[in-house]
Amino acid sequence: MKRVLTVVFLAAVMMVSVLSIPKMASAEEIKMVGVLNKIELAADGKSAIAILKDNKSGEEVQISVTDELTLDKLKDKRIVEGDEIRCKFDKQDKKNASKIFKKTAGC
Amino acid sequence: MLKKSFIATVICLSVAASFSYAKEHPGKEYVLKNGYQGPKTCEVCHPGKAKEILGTVHWKHASKVDNVDNLKPGVEYGMKNRIYTMCNGNDIVNNLKEIPPNLQGKTKFSGCNTCHMGDHVSDVGSTGAAAEAAIDCLLCHSSKYDFSKRKPTKVDGNIVMGQDRSIEAAINITRPTSKTCMTCHESAGGGVLVKRGFAVTSEADVHVANKMVCIDCHQVKNHRFPTGYDPNNWAHDGLRVSCAGECHGEKPHKEAGLNRHAEKIACQTCHIPKTGGAIAKDFTKWQKQENGFWEPATLKKEANETIPVYAWYNLTVSNEPHFIGPKGSRGDSKSKIYPFKLFQGKAFYNQKTGDLMSMDFAPPMATGDTLAGVASAARILRIADYKPVPGWQTIYFGSNHQVAPKKKALACASCHSPNGVLNFKELGYSGEEIKKLTSPAIYFDQLLKKQEQEEF
Repeated sequence: MKRVLTVVFLAAVMMVSVLSIPKMASAEEIKMVGVLNKIELAADGKSAIAILKDNKSGEEVQISVTDELTLDKLKDKRIVEGDEIRCKFDKQDKKNASKIFKKTAGC
Repeated sequence: MLKKSFIATVICLSVAASFSYAKEHPGKEYVLKNGYQGPKTCEVCHPGKAKEILGTVHWKHASKVDNVDNLKPGVEYGMKNRIYTMCNGNDIVNNLKEIPPNLQGKTKFSGCNTCHMGDHVSDVGSTGAAAEAAIDCLLCHSSKYDFSKRKPTKVDGNIVMGQDRSIEAAINITRPTSKTCMTCHESAGGGVLVKRGFAVTSEADVHVANKMVCIDCHQVKNHRFPTGYDPNNWAHDGLRVSCAGECHGEKPHKEAGLNRHAEKIACQTCHIPKTGGAIAKDFTKWQKQENGFWEPATLKKEANETIPVYAWYNLTVSNEPHFIGPKGSRGDSKSKIYPFKLFQGKAFYNQKTGDLMSMDFAPPMATGDTLAGVASAARILRIADYKPVPGWQTIYFGSNHQVAPKKKALACASCHSPNGVLNFKELGYSGEEIKKLTSPAIYFDQLLKKQEQEEF
């Protein structure tokens, strides 16, 4: 009986673990192109919130930017409001974390 | 020992130089007192520099080219006038202009010379006092440049490129960083990382990880920039970049076998195992974007997503309507094996001459009408007799950036195995030679010894 209970307990633990793994890694990757409507740089300069207007849906999407390269472009205005941005972000826990944040324009 | 001391001295001097550069620019007081009037102000302490700039590739977007086939003698070549299928336009055909309204009624400014450091009124290759006065020195030399001021506007019918000539920018002079260079160079070819596809990041390049910046390798002399021998980058300032010299020497490896390899194999071949950026583009097929404008269909890759192709290269270039790439062979003593990014582009050719035609992007960008773009370019270039037919061109881009850390460089088995990255047959080796070259017998004992040492 003790052995059966142990097996059942271990199986339950394994099921919980297996079910919780996808939940932890369930970030959905989204690609979008949109016009940069607003930039809010954090006071410490280590992050920024960019609000993009999705070209497809017309909806405003808030993106959290933390990579240094993009932050630098926001600070010295190489990327400014009105620029069109190609963005890839992870949607996780109501936070959209930027993975790629590039101007669409080139020469 | 001597070599190590030398390298240490070079590093110390570089650090000292960067500290001295990081110190306040001696001209700050002058600028605060007298204001900033563009190059005129810089020339107070740096006389002759404005005129010097006008003779460089960065200003002219062209130079004499002596290692490329089928060029007209006496003509300078570069992005000013070249026609090939990564860009299909140039400064002449795609001079910065306002695109006609698209179906949504929107317009925008676009042009190849958008990055030129003049004010567009004084443009690519211009000369004289007005050109000297139009140079945007602070674009490269200020750490506080406000890039939002650098945008085109219409003034009395002319398109003028704005510049940041503020006191704030002028009193913050610094040594140019990689950011300075990438402001223009990362967006070439139609978007970020499209043309050459290299990212200046610690993850992508071991030099960047070691805090080096572009001009540590491209060591500028009098505003002339050393460049490599990319078969598709023709214009040059007469100076060349080399891995050897003060950093790596002629025999850079501890193992003699690897130094022997270096006699016939370029450094990049082993140390730049991946490349990136666009691999194909079709200028006969433009796609409507969500913003209502059209762009040429492009197959893109991120940095480090593409495996290079390897070929012998003697630093001279085959330039044919359907091919731009390295010349060289196994039997040629000047040739070495180099890595290249293989790019294929489709555009219109003139059936009557076989020449690749150029395209003015303004019409197709607004409406998707590619033939209207060809017709406009033909008008600009005064080509009256033509019949446009689509065709493909293959281009070998030099793979010269994104140096991998030592552990990620190609190792013995990367090439000397039956499924290795080098196509020995294409490189001119016989079946019998290939059998030997792809046998573990070449490296087995050596690697086994190394493995044993690492294990204990």
